[in-house]
Amino acid sequence: MSYFIVQILPYIALTIFGLGLLFRLGRWAAARLLGTSHEITLAPFPQTPWQAGWIFVREIALFRNIFFFEPTLWVGAWPMHIALFMVLGGHAVGFYFLGEQFVYIGMSPELSKFMSNLLGSVFGMVLLLGLIYLLVRRVSLGRVRQISNPSDYLHLVLLIAIVAVGDIMRYFPQYGMHYEEVYEYFKALILLQPVPEFVFHNVFFITHMLLVQILMIVFPFSKLVHLFGMFAMRWIENRVHTDPAPGLPNVDVAAARAKGTGLPSAGGAA
Amino acid sequence: MPEYKGMAQPAKASAEDLKKLRLVPVPDEKKVEEAIRLLDEMRKKFRSFVLAMESCVKCGLCAENCHAYLGTRDPNNIPTNRAELIRKIYRRYFTLEGRWFGKLVGAEDLTLDTLEQWYSYFYQCTECRRCGSVCPFGIDTCEVTMIARQILYWLGMVPKLHVGGGFGIERVGNQSNIPKPGMVDTLEFLSEEIKEEFGVDVRFPVDEEADILYVPSSADYLLNPYTLMGAAMFFTYIGARWTIPSVMSEAGNFGLLFDQRHLMRHLFMRLHDAAANLGVKKIVWGECGHGWRAWKMYLPYFVDRPLRWEITHLHDEVAYYIRTNQLKLDPTKNAQPVTLHDPCNYVRACSPAGPYGHTENMRTIIRAVTVDFREMTPNREKNFCCGGGSAVLFDDPEMYQKRIQFSKTKADQIRATGVGKDGNGILCAPCSICKAQFYPMVEEHELGVEVKGLIDLVGKALVWK
Repeated sequence: MSYFIVQILPYIALTIFGLGLLFRLGRWAAARLLGTSHEITLAPFPQTPWQAGWIFVREIALFRNIFFFEPTLWVGAWPMHIALFMVLGGHAVGFYFLGEQFVYIGMSPELSKFMSNLLGSVFGMVLLLGLIYLLVRRVSLGRVRQISNPSDYLHLVLLIAIVAVGDIMRYFPQYGMHYEEVYEYFKALILLQPVPEFVFHNVFFITHMLLVQILMIVFPFSKLVHLFGMFAMRWIENRVHTDPAPGLPNVDVAAARAKGTGLPSAGGAA
Repeated sequence: MPEYKGMAQPAKASAEDLKKLRLVPVPDEKKVEEAIRLLDEMRKKFRSFVLAMESCVKCGLCAENCHAYLGTRDPNNIPTNRAELIRKIYRRYFTLEGRWFGKLVGAEDLTLDTLEQWYSYFYQCTECRRCGSVCPFGIDTCEVTMIARQILYWLGMVPKLHVGGGFGIERVGNQSNIPKPGMVDTLEFLSEEIKEEFGVDVRFPVDEEADILYVPSSADYLLNPYTLMGAAMFFTYIGARWTIPSVMSEAGNFGLLFDQRHLMRHLFMRLHDAAANLGVKKIVWGECGHGWRAWKMYLPYFVDRPLRWEITHLHDEVAYYIRTNQLKLDPTKNAQPVTLHDPCNYVRACSPAGPYGHTENMRTIIRAVTVDFREMTPNREKNFCCGGGSAVLFDDPEMYQKRIQFSKTKADQIRATGVGKDGNGILCAPCSICKAQFYPMVEEHELGVEVKGLIDLVGKALVWK
């Protein structure tokens, strides 16, 4: 079983993840963009591409709508997403540079490793708390419960499980894995070689891997694709649209008023 | 049938009515199959619809921002749940996860009951786009409503009220079913009214060669005469050569609300032909929210020939002449406290950003023609709908009760401005459907305000000498 999870399933999961995403995004791309029937630019219309770009930034990077209309949701949602991207990025650079990624911005290798650990611990905890907050909100708010399907809860539970196991490995080094070990494991995977023996002894690592791969398999067929959906939707809705200039043809107000148009003394009609 | 299994529904058009539009209703036993086929067609046609179906995360932000949900507290009126009525069908037939794990992801077979549910709830949505504007991703539930209504129309499930408008469109070119003689009569009467009340000679040219084609809302003939009078006085004041086309006497377009194919295009082509025949140079639009959206955002993609005329809204033109100081106005003519209801279609579907966009132009005008103007909160693109949008103006007792509930949030907003405290306030609602909704609703909620258009106030404030 462990062998399957760490040696075989990764290839399957990655394939399903990749092809599934292509399938899903392909379906979106296959549907016609508006512009053949009508425009649904949201008003107030941006007047320059920069203004349109700013809407993308403020909504996608800052969650401005959520902040404005439901601050109590923003408190959980925004830190959770930022922490998620930090943690994902941290996995990539941390394992690739063995925790010495900050050497490239002038730190000593020891300090870099310390910083890597610190950031990982902080964001790992923010991510976990954010997810729990969102789950509690989904369960406790009547209106949100009314719109939830079983899958909406399961996505959160799955994410919480992944992060919880990850955090255990981070906060309790005796259960964790060293940067070098993970590096070696992925190197073996990428080179299609047998993975090193030591990964089989770490139950937490195997669990973490299993859950992540389940997520990868589910991802393309779930609402989690909102990561791409929001760009696609805003691409339709936040576009430059300008009005024709005002001003009516052959109209000279001053002349009309001098003539007294409309006044009975001027002989009536225009 | 104002109710179906406990759900309020507007009275349906009969097969007889539909025949007038040459629509053959689908028999009940074939409705489900046909609905799925049409849904399949729609999802391939509109990416906005696909994204609304596939990328909602159910955060629930839209719930407290929808006047229909705030007024009724009916879970199916939460925008994402309303869309879910279609989404669960969409999942079941068009996605792998829905086919394999139906229960888990909330997928369901389509039944006649579901279709009746669509008919009930998609005619409780007023297509105001507030949810789309609030959604973190910009998912536009208005698009979902439009697609649902289109499919329901093709199946033969459409309110009598809407089909009545559609019939008028085909017969005489306006939803109110006013033929040319009736129009001319009314206009002559209004001309006399102006003479009596304002002491000026204003003529309403119909079908004359002119520079400007003015298209009033047909409701202005019957319900909002002061809007029509205000527009005529403005055009006369600036000495414009203008005319009203009798073949296309409708600023609204009910096609947008239930048939975005034949009916919507029919009016578009009538406008095109009228403009071509009368040799006009510019087309100016009257006070109508959904109509303005149709003409501004849909027209360019629907007419069969390249459009030779620019179309602007009367508000934008009046604001331009006010900004350039060409109008002499006396705001004391409108001395009562005034508040402005931002019609959803102007502020969320039609207005450019910036000081010269429609949203700000309305304010430029109202500040110039009134003394005591008070903003509602929230306002502009964050404004709430009047509760009658997209012609949810049904008089069936069940639906009328809903309309009162839909306008509850709006009523609270109006009350908070305090304009009606002494019973002499003005509620400026520059859109025909808003006006039609507000006339009875300000009474139901006892708001102490009189409903007026924006151009009404301009007409009153013009100083002629």
